[in-house]
Amino acid sequence: MKIKIIISLVVIVMLATAFIYKAPPHKLTYLKLFIPKGWPKPATDIFVTNPLTEEGFVLGKKLFYDGRLSKDGNFPCSSCHQQFAAFSTYGHDYSHGFNNSLTKRNAPGLFNLAWQKAMHWDGGINNIEVQPLTPITAPNEMAETLFNILIKLKVDTAYVRLFKAAFKDGVINSQHMLKALAQFTGSIQSYNSKYDKVKRGEDSFTVSEKMGYKTFLDKCNSCHTEPLFTDNSFRNNGLTLNFKLPDSGRMTITGNPTDLYKFKVPSLRNCSVTLPYMHDGRMFSLGKVIDHYRKGIDTTQATLDTLLKKGLFISDQERIDLLSFLYALKDSEMLRDPRFIQANDILLPVNYDH
Amino acid sequence: MKVNFLSTVLFFFISCFSTLDAACQLNNSPNGSIKISFINTLNSVPIILDAVNYTNCWNENFTISALKYYISNVQFKTSNKKSIKEKNSYHLIDEENIVSKSFLCTVLPGNYLTLSFLIGVDSIKNVSGAQTDALDPLNSMFWTWNSGYIMFKLEGNSPNSTIVNNKIEYHIGGFAGTNNVLRQVELNLENNKALININSITEIVVQADVGKLWNAVHELKISQTPVCSTPGAPAAGIADNYSKAFTVIKIIN
Ligand code: HEC
Ligand code: HEC
Repeated sequence: MKIKIIISLVVIVMLATAFIYKAPPHKLTYLKLFIPKGWPKPATDIFVTNPLTEEGFVLGKKLFYDGRLSKDGNFPCSSCHQQFAAFSTYGHDYSHGFNNSLTKRNAPGLFNLAWQKAMHWDGGINNIEVQPLTPITAPNEMAETLFNILIKLKVDTAYVRLFKAAFKDGVINSQHMLKALAQFTGSIQSYNSKYDKVKRGEDSFTVSEKMGYKTFLDKCNSCHTEPLFTDNSFRNNGLTLNFKLPDSGRMTITGNPTDLYKFKVPSLRNCSVTLPYMHDGRMFSLGKVIDHYRKGIDTTQATLDTLLKKGLFISDQERIDLLSFLYALKDSEMLRDPRFIQANDILLPVNYDH
Repeated sequence: MKVNFLSTVLFFFISCFSTLDAACQLNNSPNGSIKISFINTLNSVPIILDAVNYTNCWNENFTISALKYYISNVQFKTSNKKSIKEKNSYHLIDEENIVSKSFLCTVLPGNYLTLSFLIGVDSIKNVSGAQTDALDPLNSMFWTWNSGYIMFKLEGNSPNSTIVNNKIEYHIGGFAGTNNVLRQVELNLENNKALININSITEIVVQADVGKLWNAVHELKISQTPVCSTPGAPAAGIADNYSKAFTVIKIIN
């Protein structure tokens, strides 16, 4: 009898421990990409295979601002993608990279990336997650290797903690690093410009902005289509050839001669702070850009977009109003959003330790 | 007391069985294994990186410093017409890394007639973002200027090469449209009979002969094409050539 009781007890204790002792659950704070009213569905499913979480976002942000992702520590993503410039490089036609080198194209702003099917001026990047491989390994950008970066991250206890918080198995590998970066860059959204507020009925245009909007819809909207201000296509907008730094554009990727000198139609959101303009940053003001469409188009190019064959007729008054409208596309809330500002490391880890 | 004791023990066993479920399944449907081993050769002699001077069919001399390619979507057909697909089937065969040159697939016992695979990484995985393991960009088999995997890579030197340092560099990739370099290979296993038994490993030895690279379908001369590192018609032509390189030379039951 006694022995039976003992066996029963042992069994019960074993069972109880088996049930009670479970690894503590891995808690993730899921976030949703906000889809503004009236916008099309995102063109990509970036957060389907890479669920957006607060933990992933926080890790991605730290990586984005960390110079250790570059060879000499001086070129974090944020050195070329500055928040106050809508994450473009303010005032630089080409951005500075490792060892006094320069990039070969103008750094675009980063926002609403989930709506962008392909990245880079030539559309060569087919998924936001693999985009960072380009700047990281390019000798004229961050000039580093994935291998070295992973070594640097693995010995840093803050990263060990952040990777553990963001991913179930907590492994520090290239996949997790890239997914976290995508969670940060993919979360940068712009939908609070004056234009957006007018559309939502929270604000109203000045007379000049209103006239400019009309001209815009008439002359620009077929390529820079609202509400994203791009139709995501590749086109030749008639820039004269840049002989110092020739760039075939989209044809580099497709090999198709009909794509020669075609570039991605850039979004015009925040364009008042993303100067200079075009893939090679050749124009330093929006006035110059409009003048390009008025009288600067190189009509000799075979792949010139048919909409621009005759240039665009824009009167001086229309030019002024158009500029007013373009300024109304600035999204000050995004440019100042504290969520995107470099985090203070000292305040960070504590609650990411589960 | 008796009832209590019995029910406790019963409960114990039931709960054990439910947690052991996964293990039980293995016992219910016993598996065998197929090991696929790749031997990279030139004219049937195993390749040695860097050290050996080779000659191709055009009398051009060359050495090989790196040879890597992806094998994916491995699939078998059995004598009862069943198709058996390896799950998560992505393998990077790297001449420099012995471990990478063979892998094990767990399969049901049976008589296997064919082995097929894709040389390269299927298009879906080329557009699906950051991957890991064999598909990790750490393996230097991912293009950063034009997203996509390098499906096949051969690097080396040749006096016939016209470029700097007499390099030869074939980075073959491109997964879309007419210049898709993905090639499906189907190899017959009937002659050597791959019989898979329970709890034993059958090894299929596949030879990949680099000799086929130069003329199996199209002419490839080092003097004319020392480098091919973008998707396009030349890359597709080279893929046609190496798709003929694979043969089963031995099956060890
Ligand atoms: C040295 C400057 C530099 C650094 C550092 C840099 N970038 Fe960029 N970035 C650029 C340039 C230039 C382009 C445009 C490239 C092109 O179109 O060929 C670009 C393009 C992009 C794009 C595509 C945007 C679009 O609309 O097509 C993304 C996303 C991006 N960068 C994210 C990052 C991330 C993440 C990092 C850090 C891992 C980073 N960048 C580091 C200069 C830089
Ligand atoms: C036929 C299509 C098309 C039309 C119409 C068009 N654009 Fe563009 N736009 C482009 C393309 C393509 C580029 C990028 C060209 C390049 O960099 O090579 C561009 C670039 C720009 C840029 C530079 C943005 C940046 O971040 O570098 C601005 C600003 C701009 N356009 C404003 C306008 C305005 C204003 C109008 C109407 C007056 C207009 N566009 C009409 C296709 C068009």
